[in-house]
Amino acid sequence: MKKQPNSGWIVLCMVILILFLLVWQLLGGKTGGLPGPIPVAKSAWFFLSDPFYNNGPNDQGIGWLTMYSLARLATGFLLGTLFGVIMGVILGLNPVLFKALNPYIQVLRAISPVAWMPLLLYSVQNSGVTAVLVVFMASVWPTLANTAFGVSNIKKDYINIANILQMNPVVKVFKIILPAAGPTIVAGLKISMGSAWVAIVPAEALLGTLGLGYFVWNEWNNLSLTSVIFAVLVIGVVGVILDYLFTRLAMRLAYVD
Amino acid sequence: MIGKEPDKSHVGSIKSLNDPFDGDVSISHNCCGHSHSSTDIHQTADTEAIADRAIEEAVIRGLFKGNEVSRRKFMKLVGASTAMSVISSLFPLDAAKAWAKDASGALEKTDLKIGFIPITCATPIIMAHPMGIYEKYGLKGSNVVKAAGWAMIRDWAVNKQVDCAHMLSPMPLALTMGVGSTQTPFLMPAIENLNGQAITLANKHKDVKSPKDMKGFTFAVPFDYSMHNFLLRYYLAEGGVDPDKDVKIRVLPPPEMVANLKAQNLDGYLSPDPFNQRAVYENVGFIFKLSKELWSGHPCCAFATSQEFATTMPNSFKAVFNAIVDATAYSAKIENRKDIAQAIAPRNYLNQPVEVVEAVLTGQFSDGLGATRDEPDRIDFNPFPWNSMAVWILTQMKRWGYVKGDVDYKKIAEQVFLAGECAQIMREKGYSPPAETYKKHVIMGKEFDPHKPEEYLNSFTIKKM
Amino acid sequence: MSLLEVKGVSKYFTTPETGKEFCVFKNVHLSVDEKEFVSVLGHSGCGKSTLLNIIAGIDSASDGYAFWDGKEIGGPGLDRMVVFQNFALMPWLSVHGNIRLAVKSAFPQHSRHEINKRVQKYIDMVGLTGVENRKPAMLSGGMRQRVGLARAFSVEPRVLLLDEPFAQIDALTRGSIQEELIRIWLSTGITVFMVTHDVDEAILLSDRIMLMTPGPEAQIKDEINVNIPRPRDRSTIIEHPMYYSIRNKIIRFLSTKAVNRKELSLVA
Repeated sequence: MKKQPNSGWIVLCMVILILFLLVWQLLGGKTGGLPGPIPVAKSAWFFLSDPFYNNGPNDQGIGWLTMYSLARLATGFLLGTLFGVIMGVILGLNPVLFKALNPYIQVLRAISPVAWMPLLLYSVQNSGVTAVLVVFMASVWPTLANTAFGVSNIKKDYINIANILQMNPVVKVFKIILPAAGPTIVAGLKISMGSAWVAIVPAEALLGTLGLGYFVWNEWNNLSLTSVIFAVLVIGVVGVILDYLFTRLAMRLAYVD
Repeated sequence: MIGKEPDKSHVGSIKSLNDPFDGDVSISHNCCGHSHSSTDIHQTADTEAIADRAIEEAVIRGLFKGNEVSRRKFMKLVGASTAMSVISSLFPLDAAKAWAKDASGALEKTDLKIGFIPITCATPIIMAHPMGIYEKYGLKGSNVVKAAGWAMIRDWAVNKQVDCAHMLSPMPLALTMGVGSTQTPFLMPAIENLNGQAITLANKHKDVKSPKDMKGFTFAVPFDYSMHNFLLRYYLAEGGVDPDKDVKIRVLPPPEMVANLKAQNLDGYLSPDPFNQRAVYENVGFIFKLSKELWSGHPCCAFATSQEFATTMPNSFKAVFNAIVDATAYSAKIENRKDIAQAIAPRNYLNQPVEVVEAVLTGQFSDGLGATRDEPDRIDFNPFPWNSMAVWILTQMKRWGYVKGDVDYKKIAEQVFLAGECAQIMREKGYSPPAETYKKHVIMGKEFDPHKPEEYLNSFTIKKM
Repeated sequence: MSLLEVKGVSKYFTTPETGKEFCVFKNVHLSVDEKEFVSVLGHSGCGKSTLLNIIAGIDSASDGYAFWDGKEIGGPGLDRMVVFQNFALMPWLSVHGNIRLAVKSAFPQHSRHEINKRVQKYIDMVGLTGVENRKPAMLSGGMRQRVGLARAFSVEPRVLLLDEPFAQIDALTRGSIQEELIRIWLSTGITVFMVTHDVDEAILLSDRIMLMTPGPEAQIKDEINVNIPRPRDRSTIIEHPMYYSIRNKIIRFLSTKAVNRKELSLVA
């Protein structure tokens, strides 16, 4: 049977996983140290076998917790995308304005979204809204920067065609500018999504809003490292899935020039 | 009802309810603050009369600031009816009585959110939920909501995301004064617990005997405005160690204290339970001193609400106040402690191993040095918020520079710590609260007179004023 | 007045590195009448594309006037449709989609059915039936320019502005597309203005050829009437007696005027 040249990586991937588990099993499990893979697996089974229980506002199933975190993520991310794309298009089409605002954008972009949390909480005075705004602050800057860059680098020919065809500005944006800058914008969205997911976990832990971040803190409070490791794995897996969704979106919008 | 003498033959066992308008009768008593056994209350007493009398007494006590001699002189001088009219012109007695007796008013809000930190100090707040005490007072749908830290619960309370909250005793005072946060008037209707803390040291410090051995140590406390911080500082200062110069005190969340002790980043901490017992359970530390050994019966955590909640939703406020007093009295009984531990240990409440919680609540524990001890008042529960405790806290806040300038000790203490109102509710339930709201306390062998706060402050050599 | 009149038009650029002003062409005059096929022929870098852009309204003159249909040119329009050298097709749209974009802009009130009919008509006209759903990346250079032509014709402009339209297409394919162009031009009666550097192409297609000197300060120095009767055939036109005299005249013009090529750094 002829071996397919591309499938070799799958085997290697599995081998690495098995090696990792073996090393973990060897190093972990000593009393007082990190728990090994088997206690973590047991803990994972415990939580995953009943993912939607509801035991009041302080204790709910991992399914619910993930959904709450994702809901906050979705809201904040959509807001960030909307604002980032709109501002990005405006700045991309106005080079002077872009240059003038760019230093401020770079400064804002460098600030960790979680560092905004106390200021946001103080102004907004609501933990739930603050969590969403932290996600917004994480996702807006990469999107804005990429959109502005993509729009300002559109081939002049496309704009010329749009002008010759007498397209009004709205049609121009939706039919020419956004599709042309599409791949760059989606690349920005992918980065933003990653940044947002990373930010939501500590934000939840600091604000006490029910979700995966809260779960990590609650289990840490009980010094239950198996649960904490399980939570970390869940967060990682969800992050991978989100990233994959954006990769698919990028593939759909890609074009060959 | 005003001025009517109650039938004294029925009120024999209610020691504190003598006629405050009678110049010949003393109304001062030496009462301990504990109300464990309240079985000697007769239910046949005229409850309305008792309530009236209780209000009158509280008001008059307040007016005469507990000074018995001047009260009796005054009453003898002017006579009861004159005194009555004078006093009611100064203080709305009728309104107060009406407020107290109005238990039938519709609750403005029944689904209250009560914030708590998952430590054993919050036992009454927490256990009132699984044991149905909130429901008993009409607060259907109320829930206890877990916060990750004191700053978080402070923000929740100020932002009205919770209606009431578990707080550290100094916090309502700090919030009302605008120290360390935006100024928001808060009330502390009841104390959550007495004692319930300990100094835990890392296992390598088993030879440490006194503060002198602790120079250069790094300690942790859960929050700046906490009894933990003030007691630790007091303890060190009494031993000649300056807490700001000779040691390091850091603020950390309790679970991180245990982890840091293990990682040898901390030498010790003064924290709430169950994290002291947890260090023993995890084999990383031992219990050096229980906080009750420093000040027996010291206040620890509080049940607090904003003043706004109490004034805009007085019926709900009263209901939850009642529930807390009830829950606290139930928790006080040592025979209930084991059941309570079972109820509050699970994931949605304390999220701690049941054995650790039981050890703390029952007071039967191993101390990490090989001994097994039995201290039933390792943690205790009594709601009465002594105004004198508030004054002590204020002196310590001034001592360490958290508050500067002149402090109107009495005014703030009485505004925030609702000793009078708590006493009244306790009486309604048939417990016997203390007659006074101020008393002298003994901390590490030294007496504190709440009427002489400035002298007390000046008596310390180590301070940061 | 002619349909298109260019009077004394000059174009200056400031070079970004030195900041010095640079004149591309100076004092250009030309006119184009209805139904004419006129070419401008010159070396690369003489600014002929810039001249076309000014006529198209997507660039502006530094000096002089350009009139279209009696009015001064202020911007681009559907009546002056452009076919670009590098096709300028939207790569995310199919053949059908690219043409549809133009048709929708030109005929906004048409129904969906009418638009699709029109699009198909022009796809068939340029001989691309069957590849309607392909994206430009899947088409050869020649096919892409056919799409460009179809798009241009589909909006029914009054003048077609061609900017070196077949420069990027291989010599073998070029011929057949040139013949398509003539065929459509003859059947629609449209006016055409083309810039090119291909001498044979200019002779084959144009009624008049304007000769432009190389830059800087390029000018239109000569004009040739191509008196070869239509229809002209690629394979037989070289046998026409006028062909080589025209051709030689042009070649002579181009080689003697090719003096200052080295100074040029602009692309036409």
